Amino acid sequence: MTTESTTKVEGGGDIPAAPAAGPIPANPPKRRRGGRWTFDKVSFMAVFLGVPLIIYLGLVIYPFIQAVHYSFTNWRGFEPISQADYVWFDNYIYLFNDPKFMQALGNNILLAIFLPLITIILALVLAIVITMGGPSHGNVRGIKGAGFYRVVSFFPYVIPGIVIGFMWRLLLDPSAGFVNGILTAIGLEQFENFAWLGDARTAMPVSMFVIIWGFVGFYMLLFIAAIKAVPAEIYEAVRIDGAGRFVTAVRVTVPLIRDNIQTAYIYMGIMAMDAFIYMSALNPRGGPQFTTLVMSQELFNTAFGGNNLWGRASAMGVVLAGVTLAFAAVVFLVNRLTGGKDTVKY
Amino acid sequence: MSYSLQRRGFLKGALAAGALVPLAACAGGGDPEETPTDAATTEETTSQETTSEETAPTDSNNPFGLEVPSEVEAIIFNGGYGIAYAEFAGGIVEKTHDGVTVSVSPTTQVAQELQPRFTGGNPPDVIDNAGAGKIGLGAIVDQLEDLNEVVDAPNLEGTPIRDTLYAGALEPGIVSGKQVALNYVLTVFGLWYSASLFEENGWTPPKTWDEALELGAKAKEAGKYLFLWGLEAADYYGEMAITSAIKEGGHEVRTALDNLEPDCWSHPAIQDVLTKIKECVDNGYFKPGGSGTQFTAAQASWSNAQEALLYPSGAWIENEMKEQTAEDFQMTGTPVPTVSTSSALPFEAIHSAADEPYIVPSQGANVAGGKEFMRAMLSQEAAANFAETILSPTIVKDTIPEDAFGSTALASQISMLGGAGDDIFTWRFNAYYGMGPDHVQAWNSFLDGQLDVAAMTQALQDVTDRVANDDAIEKYDPVQ
Repeated sequence: MTTESTTKVEGGGDIPAAPAAGPIPANPPKRRRGGRWTFDKVSFMAVFLGVPLIIYLGLVIYPFIQAVHYSFTNWRGFEPISQADYVWFDNYIYLFNDPKFMQALGNNILLAIFLPLITIILALVLAIVITMGGPSHGNVRGIKGAGFYRVVSFFPYVIPGIVIGFMWRLLLDPSAGFVNGILTAIGLEQFENFAWLGDARTAMPVSMFVIIWGFVGFYMLLFIAAIKAVPAEIYEAVRIDGAGRFVTAVRVTVPLIRDNIQTAYIYMGIMAMDAFIYMSALNPRGGPQFTTLVMSQELFNTAFGGNNLWGRASAMGVVLAGVTLAFAAVVFLVNRLTGGKDTVKY
Repeated sequence: MSYSLQRRGFLKGALAAGALVPLAACAGGGDPEETPTDAATTEETTSQETTSEETAPTDSNNPFGLEVPSEVEAIIFNGGYGIAYAEFAGGIVEKTHDGVTVSVSPTTQVAQELQPRFTGGNPPDVIDNAGAGKIGLGAIVDQLEDLNEVVDAPNLEGTPIRDTLYAGALEPGIVSGKQVALNYVLTVFGLWYSASLFEENGWTPPKTWDEALELGAKAKEAGKYLFLWGLEAADYYGEMAITSAIKEGGHEVRTALDNLEPDCWSHPAIQDVLTKIKECVDNGYFKPGGSGTQFTAAQASWSNAQEALLYPSGAWIENEMKEQTAEDFQMTGTPVPTVSTSSALPFEAIHSAADEPYIVPSQGANVAGGKEFMRAMLSQEAAANFAETILSPTIVKDTIPEDAFGSTALASQISMLGGAGDDIFTWRFNAYYGMGPDHVQAWNSFLDGQLDVAAMTQALQDVTDRVANDDAIEKYDPVQ
């Protein structure tokens, strides 16, 4: 007991102020307030707290407030804002009564449901196969050639989104594209001149496929890093207890990297809420019957598409931000309700 | 902050002109009621000449009081026409006014690039406001100069500019009674085909939709399609349908569409045309897959691979596909078909409009410079240069020789214009209200066979109603 308490005091006293070991109990309040304002401390706070705070306020918070402000006006974007009139909630009322915007919102929600789900499941499966899909004897390791697969599957992420979009658009060209070339060559004649991105039934799934193709490698690497951080002893113990590879993956690996999965889910969801680059490259006009139109595209059209309704476009931006925040909140909530708070520790 | 900047812009403009008169002109230009008459313009010019002592030239060589030396900034949309023709005009300004420098810069996204400059009160002196990213004129109409002053000035050759222009060339640039834009390029719309291919097979371009259907059957026998289309340009078929319907039903079709009337798309003439196009779709006369094909790739399979016979487009098509046109293609334009032989307007009637709107912002640092640039653009020399290099006519008359520089497309444009006589029309609702993307959408689905005539009518009517019922978008004065 006593030894323990001494070490605690010693440790506590040692770190903040070694020379003033004596008067610790004499003036604890002063200590708690942080001591004198030395140049060191002030400059440290100025550089590491003040500057980022100013940058954050100026470049993040202020534009956001500005966007909310504009969303209450009928600003057209080309005259000083002072000449615009306040229309208050008219822009929002219009948006929620506009079938086109609501369809775009619906498309974003579709993306936010399916993109993270499919991308993360795929990435997880690949990551697990690469890290622990190897032989069931000896050390826990990935399948043969894991390093090669790891590099190859990361390639798509290195390509800029806009290039991925254009590349797939060419691959999916109805008459000259690679995809239909293969399909017709193996005898599926019905795909001759089939417009994958021009048919309302296939445009959205195909667009999702392209986005997933672009991201799965990145999230796989993220999960590989997380899995590698799990101590090997745990896997060895699990294996000695007789668990198979599937059980190990589902009952041990996934709970251990749960935080990473949640982060990935939110990142991917934010991407799905935007999706501007992919969607405007694949289907610049919003897809057949607007089945791939997303809010950011409609925002762009409203601001630059001929009528220049910047006030309304700002309102769209605010709605977009609101939906994105709501998505993040839902993911947090679901994670918490399903027991994510009592994280498994190793 | 934006206010002080704006004021600075004003002062700069005033300094550049060397007098306070332009300030008054700016203020006057903002009032839509007060359209300066010819007399007023002349008076202004004269008073300016007498009051501004430091501006040396007071003759007709410098009608806007351009200060020498000064700088003129032109931002030109870099699309199918490039910017070389504008640089040529800039060169003319520099040659005419020793000491004036003209900078001509390209852009492909006019609104995105210039929005901060408009808000900040320092827009460029002259802008070619064209392309998909153009600024909606409705959003900036109060900030633009009335260009009647340019039109009433003498051109570099000494003739009043107004007398050198094609009839109706100025109309597209008038908003609320004010000449806010000068649309420079005269575009003739029609149905384009390869004269050599048609001659080889003994085909003739269709004059009615029934003839078009017959031709479609013949094309099918030859293993070709009648039409093809590309994703981004599906609304070219909308242009063709509207032209055909106006020819069939007369100008009431045009005014109904332009004035966003309820049920305007249900007009019998439009319905007839849509029904005929639907017949072409159902008969497989359209090359499938257009709704997933990039439009220039699609156009190349018409002009190069010759998979289809006809393509509706504006006259820019020749220049656009220059590098991807089969040898001895002999691209030729013809008026689009009518429904019946007893149509309200003759078959020869065409859709032709001046496009490529040039604007001069009132807050530009050198407003006189912007106007002088336009005067140079409208000179015989610059217009002839445009016609020769781009193979397209400008709104300036008499710049194209008999042989049309050896271009079959240009020759056919001239003969289409000649054949139409007074039956030349245009409309503005889709471009003005930014309906392009929505129309593209509907036409892709229609040509793909996913919409029948009723659903297509509804889709187009929805687009019209959406704008008509949107109070945030101010409408132009009703069209007659």
